[in-house]
Amino acid sequence: MNADPVLVEIVAGTLAAIEKEVETSIGRTSRSPMIRDAHDFRAGIHDRHLRKLTGRSYSALVQPVVRDHPIDTMNVGDVFFHNDVYLSEGGIGHLPDLCVTVPVFADGQVVAFVQAFGHHDDIGGAVPGSMPSGATSMFQEGLMVPPIKLWDRGVPNQAALTIMTRNSRMPDSLAADLDAECSACLAGARRLGELFERYGVAAVEACFDAILANSTEVYRREILSQIPDGSYVWEDYAEHDGVDPPMLHRQRITLTMDSAADVPLTIDFTGTGPQAKGPINHCGDYSDGNFLKKWLAPVLRNLAETPERMAELDVNEGVVPLIRMVFPEKGTLLTPVFPAPTNARTFVILRLLGVLAGVLAKATGGRMPADQETIRYTGVYGTDSDGEPYLMREVLGGGSGGRYYADGEDTIHVVPDSRNLPTEFTEGRFPLRIERLGLALDSGGPGRYRGGCGYEKHIRVLRDAHFMSIADRSILACWGVNGGRAGRPFQITVDPGGAGEHEVDALADAEPLRAGTVVRVRTTGGGGWGDPLERPVEEVLQDVAWRKVSVAGARRDYGVVINDDGDADLGATDALREQMRSARTGDEPFFDRGPGYAQLSGGATHNQFDHL
Amino acid sequence: MSAPAPPRRVRIGIDTGGTFTDVVAVDEETGATTTTKTPSTPADPADGFLAGVTKVLALLDLPGSAVTAVSHGTTVATNQLLQGELDRIGFITTEGYESVLEIARQSVPDGYGNSYFWVKPPRIVPADLVRAVGGRLDHRGAEVRPFSHEDAVAAAHFFRDAGVTTIGVCLLHSYADDGHEQAMLEVLRAEHPDAVVSISSQVLREYREYERSVTTLVDAAVKPKVGAYVTSIRRRLDSLAPGVPFYVMKSNGGVLSAEEVVHQPITTMLSGPAAGALGAALIASAAGFDRILTCDGGGTSTDVTVVVDGEPSLTTEGTVGSYPSKIPMIDVVTVGAGGGSVAWLSPEGTLKVGPRSAGADPGPICYGTGGTEPTVTDAHVVLGRIPPHLLGGEIPLSVPLATAGLEALGAQLGLSLERAATGILEISAWNQANALRQVTVARGLDVRDFTLTTFGGSGSLLACRLMDVLGLPRTLVPPNPGNVSAFGLLTVDVRNDYVQTVVARHADLDLALLTTVVGDLEGQARRALDGEGFAPGEQRMQRTADLRYVGQAFEVRVPVAAGDLDRAAVEDVATAFHAAHRQLYGYDFATDPRQAVEWVNLRVSGIGPIRRPDLVQLEPGDGDVSRARTGSRPVFFDAWADTPVYWRPHLAPGDVVTGPAVIEEFGSTVPVHPGFAAAVDGFGNLLLTRTETRPEESA
Repeated sequence: MNADPVLVEIVAGTLAAIEKEVETSIGRTSRSPMIRDAHDFRAGIHDRHLRKLTGRSYSALVQPVVRDHPIDTMNVGDVFFHNDVYLSEGGIGHLPDLCVTVPVFADGQVVAFVQAFGHHDDIGGAVPGSMPSGATSMFQEGLMVPPIKLWDRGVPNQAALTIMTRNSRMPDSLAADLDAECSACLAGARRLGELFERYGVAAVEACFDAILANSTEVYRREILSQIPDGSYVWEDYAEHDGVDPPMLHRQRITLTMDSAADVPLTIDFTGTGPQAKGPINHCGDYSDGNFLKKWLAPVLRNLAETPERMAELDVNEGVVPLIRMVFPEKGTLLTPVFPAPTNARTFVILRLLGVLAGVLAKATGGRMPADQETIRYTGVYGTDSDGEPYLMREVLGGGSGGRYYADGEDTIHVVPDSRNLPTEFTEGRFPLRIERLGLALDSGGPGRYRGGCGYEKHIRVLRDAHFMSIADRSILACWGVNGGRAGRPFQITVDPGGAGEHEVDALADAEPLRAGTVVRVRTTGGGGWGDPLERPVEEVLQDVAWRKVSVAGARRDYGVVINDDGDADLGATDALREQMRSARTGDEPFFDRGPGYAQLSGGATHNQFDHL
Repeated sequence: MSAPAPPRRVRIGIDTGGTFTDVVAVDEETGATTTTKTPSTPADPADGFLAGVTKVLALLDLPGSAVTAVSHGTTVATNQLLQGELDRIGFITTEGYESVLEIARQSVPDGYGNSYFWVKPPRIVPADLVRAVGGRLDHRGAEVRPFSHEDAVAAAHFFRDAGVTTIGVCLLHSYADDGHEQAMLEVLRAEHPDAVVSISSQVLREYREYERSVTTLVDAAVKPKVGAYVTSIRRRLDSLAPGVPFYVMKSNGGVLSAEEVVHQPITTMLSGPAAGALGAALIASAAGFDRILTCDGGGTSTDVTVVVDGEPSLTTEGTVGSYPSKIPMIDVVTVGAGGGSVAWLSPEGTLKVGPRSAGADPGPICYGTGGTEPTVTDAHVVLGRIPPHLLGGEIPLSVPLATAGLEALGAQLGLSLERAATGILEISAWNQANALRQVTVARGLDVRDFTLTTFGGSGSLLACRLMDVLGLPRTLVPPNPGNVSAFGLLTVDVRNDYVQTVVARHADLDLALLTTVVGDLEGQARRALDGEGFAPGEQRMQRTADLRYVGQAFEVRVPVAAGDLDRAAVEDVATAFHAAHRQLYGYDFATDPRQAVEWVNLRVSGIGPIRRPDLVQLEPGDGDVSRARTGSRPVFFDAWADTPVYWRPHLAPGDVVTGPAVIEEFGSTVPVHPGFAAAVDGFGNLLLTRTETRPEESA
């Protein structure tokens, strides 16, 4: 059946509207801060061929549900649930992501699925929050639930709910959040069902086909056409796994573009390092890498003509036919063996976005952004003046990388619509005083287009407390490209400038803080893009006036000499820039990884793939 | 008050739009309305305003002295203020928070991966015009470190020397205590007396420093221009009707005297859509409907509002231009679907409609003014659903030009002319329908419980399709749908909002403190109403509170009864909160003692009631609609058919027009699709309902 072009647009618009309604509804009714404030949740709509139809956000997979509960056994009012990483086909990365799947019925048949997952407060395991940074086994990370029928024909399975809430330190919010997800998905499923009833299953499914085919065609025409045929290799690293001492945990991509092939783009992860003892592994090698294809595809959008066009492009199942994935043998970071822990797998999969960006930069001569921040958690916990325990945990963003058309942005977060905590909220709720919430000076990687700045946040604890952090990029930095330099890494300092000043490891479960102590958190600056000596002097002066670059940094990183009155000494600047240029060998690598790389590489400043 | 023969006296509402300035005069005695419009004058909107007053008085043959009051609403004037270069504004914040505007809330809009390419829009104040002062309060307003007078003087001198004369001040926790901000204000007055200053504790006493900072800065930014605009109108109005009360519409659904507007200019931003919603609410309420969705269709977009029991829902999550504003405003959702919305082929090869609009220039193809892209209006005119002219014949429309444009578009998709035209309208209807559903879903409401109320030039054109897509029971189209906004201006009371953040657990409430805070807020409200000339007995105080469950980061607003704030009263508030939470979010924790309730904000609205215009009941007709029939023309609904056309002013209560039909009036058209009928009620409203079960879809 050919799709009606008018109906295609109506169906596409309605799918987007339903996805938004489901997310609106979850966002408003959930109680876990990770869902509510950090927006760590996603809805998705999939057809009965398990293809993801909506494109605003990535989502989990329906494959594991259908694997364990064949479609022809499903009934109206069923709700499926899972969070089991190894039985999720790679759709769920860590146990706190609780996933709900609702089948949509029309003419008595399953025609689609509405699915949502959200990062909940706690699902048990060794530590509050279910993300033990030193875990060596999934059994320490919480309760694993393989795909089960949580509601059967409209009737909730109380036994399952009781088991889950009993295993959580926050049973009430767990119950409330699950309820929010179930109600939102059921409402979305009803709406989608109405669309099928109105237009008929065959007509709507023809539209699904057309939407996905259009998407495939657009990526082929506008994106893949920008990648010259050939093979390109690059790698980047996570710096620690929470168990072993810091080391290079390698993620490698060999990207092969063959525009004549049926599947033009091959992404081969061979060469990726061994499975980590600690929880940074990600189960990528299931369902032919279906999850990772959709997870990585948003990075491809940077090859579109303009930033506006990049924002328009959907990422749905239409990208899948264009990509072939090749995985190494079992036992690597991307092919871990159960029960290898995974709770901090964001270190690997977010880094993977950067590896793809880097390999594409190599393929396109730099027409890609430099590296940007990743997810990190920092927090303070203790008891308040009423003796009640509290946990102030937040996900602070960092700077984005410089682009060939613009500087990186300050303090953005990779998770869309994620929010930081206002000081006036934090201080009203926790025994803390936020003495400073500013930008980390000089943190943005120098470049023709400077990387964005990270945060500098000073938290004073008013009562004895503990500080926790789960972060990477504290040794390695966000890389610069095409002459741009790396940004500054993540850093935690207790009592900065005081007698007890000391640094705290980026993986810290319980750093003690005496009442009155200040802890300073600096988050990563983005990498720079292009030669910093090419940055116009007036832009550097503005950086100084805007508290993003210091006077010393202007001289050191940009060769701009600034007088006491704040103006540039143009003669001295020209001379200094000339001197800095002449000190170059002409064989500088295409990527700058920052000084931390040598600490872990045994002294090398770059690897064999870092040159063009 | 001792005139021998009371002359006719009128109140005038003036709504300044992008193209036209709409004027409605209501006779204070009879309630009869007189409407007219004049061209808007973007260069100086005050010109069009005065022309409108003069024109309507001429129509009524009345002198300026017959005017009892003038109410004014405008989106366009304020938008123009925003679109123009904003003055260089200075920002004074607390030490350590110099980058609060750069940091904002760290959120990147839309999808995953957008952080790689997103370009942050410019901040309202560039970072070099931000100055910090030492001193610190805690969240209860207690001083942690004293205000640094030295820093304050340095900041004042910096801005004075830089020639920056518009300054916003937002210091941490000053919602709880304004001492430091007042100290800053005094320093600025002394050291930089030319500066126009807004301080956050006067603009918005509500927690969240980023949003309060931006709201304060927008207030400061528009203060000089709004002040000049209002003062200019006041002066010219005085030459026509000396001393006549002059009110300006606020975005919260109230009005404010011009004298007060200059002190709180931000409250008047985006007031145009609010007036339309209120006007439609009053009309629909008189017609017997208490749950309505207002749908104000213009050339470029459609404004949608939810009204329950006559009260449009308010939001404090609005934006002014691209800046967040926490000032309470009627929650208007704007959809990029209007008469000028362009139909286009996306790079994906699919047919899209809007959000881009052809606007008035070049306009739709059928205007014959150089437009080349087919629009929604072109689709309507090609299908015969609107007449081949606008405004009762003043502006002719070219059907051949529109036909050629649509045929060319259809050819690219393999669609006939009719399929292309109906397809464009169907997509536009679904875009509106999805937006309408979103606004109800977000509030936990069911769209099918609502009466659609359509007005504005293009608001009613797709009403039948919206009813079908959304399963709505009926649509109400008020008479003179082009003037609903101007009419709405005459229906609103003087209204000022006051808020104070006071965070406390319900179980530990300090009732004496609550009583004091509410007393303070009501005191402020009463003083303002005294100033507006309302006698104490007329003044109404409306109390509300924002509550949440501990751990939530958003609040639910519920009413607080007048009278003593004793334990019973606050228990009632908590009960109302549980119920409202269930309504909005589908669950509550009323019976769960582990889920603590927390109070966050106390609010008082001071209301000075204004006499609302009475809606005039019309004489019923004989039921024979042929009196209004002006002829027929071929119209395409499901197929081409010769379709009767009616002139709405000749319809009378009791008449029923059965579709297919087209009902026309000056400035607006209602296509009645097959399977629908339009009944005229006692006030002259058209009530569209379905007459048969939904026909099979053809799309």
